[in-house]
Amino acid sequence: MNSTRPQMVIILRYDIYLFFGGLFIYGANVSLICEDGGMDNGCRSQLLDSPDVTLQRENIAKGAAPIPARESVVRYQMSMKEDDYTYTQSLRVFVGTWNVNGQPPTVSLSDWLACDVEPPDIYGIGFQELDLSKEAFLFNDTPREEEWMFAVCNALHTAVEYKRLATIRLVGMMLSVFVQKQHAPHVRGIAVDTVGTGIMGKMGNKGGVGIRFEIYNTTMCFVNSHLAAHVEEYERRNQDYRDICSRMSFTKFRPPKSIVNHDQVYWLGDLNYRIVDVDPKKVKELIDIENFDPVLEYDQLIRQHNLNEVFMGYKEGKINFRPTYKYDTGTDNWDSSEKNRAPAWCDRVLWKGDSIKQLKYRSHPIMRISDHKPVSAVFESKVRVIDTVKYRKIHEEVMKKLDKMENEFLPQVMVDTTDVIFETLRFLEPQTKELIIANTGQVPVQFEFIKKLDDTTYCKEWLHIEPYLGSVRPGEKCDIRLEVYVDKRSASKLNSGQDKLYDILVLHLEGGKDIFITVTGSYERSCFGSSLETLANITVPVREIPIGKLMDMELENRKDGLENTVYPVPKEVWYLVDYLYRYGLKEANLFEQSGLHSELIQIRNWLDNGSQDALSSSVHSVAEALLLLLESTAEPVIPYNFHSVCTDCATNYQQCRQIIQQLPDLTRNVFLYLCLFLQELLSHSNDNGLDIKTIATLFGAIFIRDPPRSRDSQNSRTQQTLDRKKANFVYHFLVNDQSDLLAIT
Amino acid sequence: MSTGPYSYSYIFKYIIIGDMGVGKSCLLHQFTEKKFMADCPHTIGVEFGTRIIEVSGQKIKLQIWDTAGQERFRAVTRSYYRGAAGALMVYDITRRSTYNHLNSWLTDTRSLTNPSTVIFLIGNKCDLDGQRDVTYEEAKQFADENGLKFVEASAKTGENVEEAFLETAKKIYQSIQDGRLDLNAAESGVQHKPSHGGGGASSDQQNNKDACSC
Repeated sequence: MNSTRPQMVIILRYDIYLFFGGLFIYGANVSLICEDGGMDNGCRSQLLDSPDVTLQRENIAKGAAPIPARESVVRYQMSMKEDDYTYTQSLRVFVGTWNVNGQPPTVSLSDWLACDVEPPDIYGIGFQELDLSKEAFLFNDTPREEEWMFAVCNALHTAVEYKRLATIRLVGMMLSVFVQKQHAPHVRGIAVDTVGTGIMGKMGNKGGVGIRFEIYNTTMCFVNSHLAAHVEEYERRNQDYRDICSRMSFTKFRPPKSIVNHDQVYWLGDLNYRIVDVDPKKVKELIDIENFDPVLEYDQLIRQHNLNEVFMGYKEGKINFRPTYKYDTGTDNWDSSEKNRAPAWCDRVLWKGDSIKQLKYRSHPIMRISDHKPVSAVFESKVRVIDTVKYRKIHEEVMKKLDKMENEFLPQVMVDTTDVIFETLRFLEPQTKELIIANTGQVPVQFEFIKKLDDTTYCKEWLHIEPYLGSVRPGEKCDIRLEVYVDKRSASKLNSGQDKLYDILVLHLEGGKDIFITVTGSYERSCFGSSLETLANITVPVREIPIGKLMDMELENRKDGLENTVYPVPKEVWYLVDYLYRYGLKEANLFEQSGLHSELIQIRNWLDNGSQDALSSSVHSVAEALLLLLESTAEPVIPYNFHSVCTDCATNYQQCRQIIQQLPDLTRNVFLYLCLFLQELLSHSNDNGLDIKTIATLFGAIFIRDPPRSRDSQNSRTQQTLDRKKANFVYHFLVNDQSDLLAIT
Repeated sequence: MSTGPYSYSYIFKYIIIGDMGVGKSCLLHQFTEKKFMADCPHTIGVEFGTRIIEVSGQKIKLQIWDTAGQERFRAVTRSYYRGAAGALMVYDITRRSTYNHLNSWLTDTRSLTNPSTVIFLIGNKCDLDGQRDVTYEEAKQFADENGLKFVEASAKTGENVEEAFLETAKKIYQSIQDGRLDLNAAESGVQHKPSHGGGGASSDQQNNKDACSC
């Protein structure tokens, strides 16, 4: 059933869910959520940017759908409350970069890497032009990696122990990150990537390599890049930067993380920006007297950075050191080759992120094996550390709020009553009551009256519910009409006490609770629905017999049909037949035209109360009342257990007669009495125009009533054959003299 | 923090049963909302609540059906036992009659649930020790004789409420680990990993509806 019903999709506007102080989004856009806890600025802003989120509401309670949504909400909530369960801790970050011009490490690197008193907590060390050989360029394979790694490891600060987190190399670009051993257990999510921006936008002689990780509760990314060379190629360098930004992707995360998705980014490398529009001689003069400021005005990176063409959002510390390029190898002398290159601050360190303070930014001229000087920067960076106790507490709070909200988001309705009480109900007189279902919850409600265990229907047969299913939007209501109508199907059961005017309805809210609606009423018993035996045994109108006694009589009858009844036929049958005999014999269309409902009620009251007044209904209403009386009994005139023998031998009059002879006295009497009356009626066919076949068919269906439910299961053809056989059966008794049968009685 | 795509790995269906006024709805409310609901109206129907808990590092979603206790609804509430993984059977320690009826509640539970259903007996309102009408020892003995877990709890103070729900889940989880509870059985009351297409509790309801098109 569920699969055929269209799924309700609810658009929730986030402004509805301004929730416990913070902005709460019951978000489902899981693609925006980062797997590692969603602390990234990128994720955060994207979540804030999404105004609408879709969510299949009814599946919450079922536990089916928005599980990723819940997970993402937990992450989002936790990230919003980060300040409540974290404290900051300062870490010393050392960032070093050196273009080694393809030279092997023939000197100790400790003058560069361990020149400070205080040991750094984190090292990010990058090289460029580690190997300039064709082999390295074409196959990205070099023995230099190991040599330089060895040199680096031997030159780290000796006061503490370090653990290498990762090393990544693309041709000549290599980057390594180390942390102090004490921090290593708090590092997670290490990932690396490389981006080549060389020839064809692919080759790795230029480009960048990156390492990202989380330390405590802060994400960090180190990028080492070697951007395009040549003085005039600054645009190309800008482009390389942009390519690295867009193409570097840590794909082990879903969605993949970019450089921008980190709390702290340290960017180092040979960025190759030059000093232009000024006479190199003049530059050298100014630098000799350590007057850097006028020269920095001609620095391409500073210019491009100021124009926001590159490194948007990054910072660079004040340069207070000599240009790091280009020197005669082994000396501190400017390039004396033919090219006589102008000095340049090719090697730089930039950073991005809050809570980062640069302590040092310098070059290390003493390192002379390359035509570049190494550069280093030292930062005091604050990282967030999780207070586990507080974290657990807040996490539990968030979970609790979500549970609470999930419960609040269950469908909720108010019904104006759970007890629907009907006044005295009478046969054929319908009564209706209204039930109001008001949606008091926050989500649309799909309701349905459902059946109880072992029941085949959702309500008793005398009750009709309209509509029995539907949906109600929040704040709206739905009127349900409950109609009780006791007719020939249900009257006998109510008369005998087999059934009561009592039902408990189960109003089910899809994905939520069930409400029980109790329907009660008292039924005023009538001769309609009473058994022929009971009617034949009481000498007073039905209403004058106490209910208990009536029920007892019905039960007695059911056990073993009574042998002797007070009357040979029920007086009610006699009254009606007598009326028709007196006023209806010559009436056209008798038993063909239907009666009036109001007159049927009148006849019912007349019979039940035993009124002294003469009945003043039309004969058609009386005819219908007679049929109704015969149809409302628990057992038909020819009892159910004779049903199949009657239809089996319907063509054989003698056999039919034998069956009639076997009937209990009372039903045989009623049958023959009615047949005699019908014969009388048919003898006036010149006046009333009645047709024997019509009468036989009509009374065939009434005398030989099909057992309950059998009618539904038969196709119309079999039913037609059956109806024809019943008509046949009755026909015999309408055309033949039955006085000998009557004599038996 | 879990890294999987789901917040939980299992769904357990619970029912709460017992005489009218023993505090079934208050226990549910205390468990899901951590609050005592004073002047709680009689439940006319079956309330539904949910909470995610953790057992042995596994997140488990509890779907709890809190049934009406009134005798006249007894026949109807029997529909809800089917497919329950846990049954919390509640009596009121200050009203002996509610304790005396436990046998009939237990009979219903045993006949309408499957053998692996965990039945947990809760003597509620233990904050009202002064009005106690049923001793702890007596109830404990009843529980032991019938193989039930038992605590006295208070929906008002919250005492032992969490424990009763969690202990039940632990026992169910244990049954799964031991292989005593067949996850594939339609009426185990346990679903492993939520799947699209309806929960365990509601699938019964769906079946009911299918046959109901009169």
